[in-house]
Amino acid sequence: MQPKTPTRHRARSDVARTPLTPSIISGLNNVSIGSTFAGSPKKQTGKTSSKSSSSSASVFDTTNPFIRPPSRAQSRSRAGSRPGSRPASPVKFVSSSTIPVSEDLQRQAGEGVIRKGGIESRLDVVTRDYVPPPKSEPKRSRSTPASSRDRFITMRDPESEVAATLEQMSLNPVSASPGHTARLIEATGVPLNRRILSYHEPPPSTSVDNTLTKQLECVKPLYARPGSVSTSTGATTNKTRKIPTQPERVLDAPGMVDDFYLNLLSWSCQNAVAVALESATYIWKADSGSVVQMGEAPEGSYVSSVEFSGDGSYLGIGIGTGDVELWDVERGTRMRVMGGHQSQVASLSWNQHILTSGCGDGSIWHHDVRVAKHKVMELLGHSGEVCGLTWRSDGELLASGGNDNVVNIWDGRVGDVGEGARGNARWTKRNHTAAVKGLAWCPWQPSLLASGGGTNDATINIWNSTTGARLHTLKTPSQITSLVWSPSRKEILSTHGYPTNSIMLHTYPSMERVAEIRDAHDSRVLFSAIGPAGDMVVTGAGDENLKFWKIWDAKSAESAKKKKDDGERRTNTTNPHTLAIR
Amino acid sequence: MSSKQANRQAITLKGSTKTVTEFFKYAVNTILFQREVYPTEDFTMVKKYGQTLLVTQDPALESYLEKILKQVEKWLLTGSVAQLVLAIVSKETRTPLERWVFDIKLIEQPPDSKERAPPKPEAEIQSEIRAILKQIISMVTYLPVIQEGTVFNILAYTSEEAEIPAGEWVDTDPLAIEAGKSQQVKMRSFSTDVHRVDAMVSYRYEPEQ
Repeated sequence: MQPKTPTRHRARSDVARTPLTPSIISGLNNVSIGSTFAGSPKKQTGKTSSKSSSSSASVFDTTNPFIRPPSRAQSRSRAGSRPGSRPASPVKFVSSSTIPVSEDLQRQAGEGVIRKGGIESRLDVVTRDYVPPPKSEPKRSRSTPASSRDRFITMRDPESEVAATLEQMSLNPVSASPGHTARLIEATGVPLNRRILSYHEPPPSTSVDNTLTKQLECVKPLYARPGSVSTSTGATTNKTRKIPTQPERVLDAPGMVDDFYLNLLSWSCQNAVAVALESATYIWKADSGSVVQMGEAPEGSYVSSVEFSGDGSYLGIGIGTGDVELWDVERGTRMRVMGGHQSQVASLSWNQHILTSGCGDGSIWHHDVRVAKHKVMELLGHSGEVCGLTWRSDGELLASGGNDNVVNIWDGRVGDVGEGARGNARWTKRNHTAAVKGLAWCPWQPSLLASGGGTNDATINIWNSTTGARLHTLKTPSQITSLVWSPSRKEILSTHGYPTNSIMLHTYPSMERVAEIRDAHDSRVLFSAIGPAGDMVVTGAGDENLKFWKIWDAKSAESAKKKKDDGERRTNTTNPHTLAIR
Repeated sequence: MSSKQANRQAITLKGSTKTVTEFFKYAVNTILFQREVYPTEDFTMVKKYGQTLLVTQDPALESYLEKILKQVEKWLLTGSVAQLVLAIVSKETRTPLERWVFDIKLIEQPPDSKERAPPKPEAEIQSEIRAILKQIISMVTYLPVIQEGTVFNILAYTSEEAEIPAGEWVDTDPLAIEAGKSQQVKMRSFSTDVHRVDAMVSYRYEPEQ
C-alpha cells in the first residue's frame, strides 16, 4: 500500500534564493541609480531629436518611457516640464485617447462597485491629461465602435473602460497619488499613438484563493519558525535543520499487528532488525538485505515483543501466552523457552545476561538466561499491563511504564537475595494520564529518563532518576508510542499515534520542536528503534510498513564530548564478552 | 529569392517572438517570486535557459499569465507593443511600489538584404536572458523591502493601431510611481535577431528612509 506522502512535492519547494554573483553586483554599482535622470531633460531633448532619426537609437537610454516616436513636439516640451526632477517615475505619459473614464465608471468608482477592471478601475484611473494640439483625432481602438464618440460606455460592457474622446477627459482630483496627477497635468508629451493596456481581469489574489489555501496550509510549515505553526504537515524544521520527509527505505511488513501495547521492533548493534509479524519473527540484515525467519509462535498465539540482547547475538521473543523464547541469531535456532508468565509478554529489555520481561498482568520478571531456573526476580509495581520497559545502559536502573499510567524506576540490582520480590520501586511517577509506553534513557546524561503517555496524555516528561524530580514536560498533539534519544545530538525523537501518526523531533533541554514528519505512516506509528550507527530510526505501524528515516548523522569515531563516557554507554549495546557484573 | 528571404524573416520573427514571450513569462514569474507578490510556496523550480528558475504552480495565476502573454505574443508579431510593464502595487493603498519596464524594439534590418547578418546563436541569446534574470534576482538586495501585501498588474504599451481583443484589454493609467519618490535602475538587455528587449526597474523610494 502506498503510504501517504503528501510531502513529496514540498521537499522540492524548499527554495533557495539564487546567490548573488559578484559580477552582477558590480555591474549594478556601475549603473547610476537615477543619476541618469539628473540631466534628463537635456538628455531627452537631445535624444528626441536623434530619436526622430532612428527608432532604435535610444535603446541605451534609461529613459525608456521617454522615447517618443519621431516628431514629437510634445515630448520635448514635456521634457522641459520637469526641470531638475529627481529620477522621476518613468511613465508619465498617458495616451490621451485612452483615458478610461466615463461618468458611469466614475460613479461606480465612487461607490466602489466595479466588477471588472480590478485595480485599474478602482485606481484613479483618469489622470489628466493634456489636450494635444488639434492635430489629429485620436484614433479609436478597434475595440470600441467608432460611432460612439460620446462619453458613455460601450453597449457591450457597461463597466469596461471606454476610450474617451478628448472632450471627456476629466481631471480627477481624487488621485491615488496626487503628485502623480500634478505631474500629468504638466505632462505634455503624451504621444497620441500609445495606449496603455491592461488585461481586464485583475490577477488572481493570493490569500483568498480557496484552491490554494489548503496547499498553503500544507506547505506553511516549511517556512515557519519552529513552534510557530502548531498544525503542520510535512516536516517543520528550523532554518538549519533539514529532515527528509521521505523514508530512506520502506520495507513491507505484512501482518504487523496494530496493537499499541506490543513492542514488535528491535534493531541490534550488529545491524539486524527484528520484526514480529503476527506469529512469526523475522530478522532483516541491514547490511545484506537478507531476511531470515526466526521461528513461529505456537499455534493460536502471537508474538508480543522482540528484543535483541546487548551484543546482538541473542533475540528474546515474548509470546502472547506468556512464554519468553531465546533465540540464537547467528544460528537461527531457539535456545530455550522461559515460561511462567500468566499473560502476554508485551515488553522485554536486556541487561547483559538478564532478560527482563513485562507481563500483561503487571508483573515484571528478571530472567537470567544462563541458568536453568531463569526467573531470578519479580517486580510487582503495576496494576496494568507493562507496555514500556527499558534498562538504563549501565544496568543500575530499570524503568517501566504501564497501562495503569504509572512510571516505575527500579533498582537494577538483581537477584542477590534469591527469588523474593525486591519490594517497591525507587521512584513511582503517576503524572501521566494514559498508558506509558514510550520510555527512553538519555545516552549522554544517564540520569535522565524520558517517558511519554498515550492518547489521553500525549505528554513527554523528563525525569531525573537520581533525584526523582521532573525536569521537563512537553505536551504533544497526539498519543506517544515511543521515544528515542539521539546519541549524537541533544535531541529526542518521539513517535506518535492518534491523531497525527507523526514523528516529532525535539531539542533538549529546550523541548523545542525541531521537526515533525506528519503522517509518517498511514496508521499509528507504534514501534521504533534506532540503528547502531545512531542516524537511522526505523518505525513500524499497522499499515504494514517499516520505514527507515535518516534523522541524525552517523556517529563516526565520535569524541566523548557529547557522551559522558566512552563507548560503553551506547544505547542498546554493551561490550560483548563482558557479561560479568559491573 | 526574396520570397524565401521573406519567409526566413517571417520564421525568424516568429521564433524571436516566441523567445521574447517566453522571456517575459519567466521574468514575470521571477519577479513575482522575488518580490513575494505571491507566496513562495506557490512556486516550483524548473530548468530554463540553463539555470533553475521559479514558476508559479497556482493554476489561476498560470492561466492568467498565459492569457496575457498570448496576447502579447500576438502583438509582438505585428509589432504593435512597445513596452511591457509589470507594476507591483500595494494591495491596500493601491500605490504603485515598483515598475518593471521591458522595452521592446524591433531591430532594423539593414536595408541591404543581400548580406544578412548571421542569425544570432541561440546560446548567446540564452546567456543574455540568463544575465537579465540573474540581475532581476539580485535586485532584491537593494530594492526596498515590501512589507505589505501586493498585487501586480501587467500593462502593455501598444500602438494605436494595435488590434485589441474586445473586452479583454482595457485602457488604464500607467500606475506610475509618484514623482519625487521613485528611483530607477537600468538593467541589462537582450536581443534576438528581430527584437531587442531592455529592462529597467523603477521603485518607490522614500528619501527620508
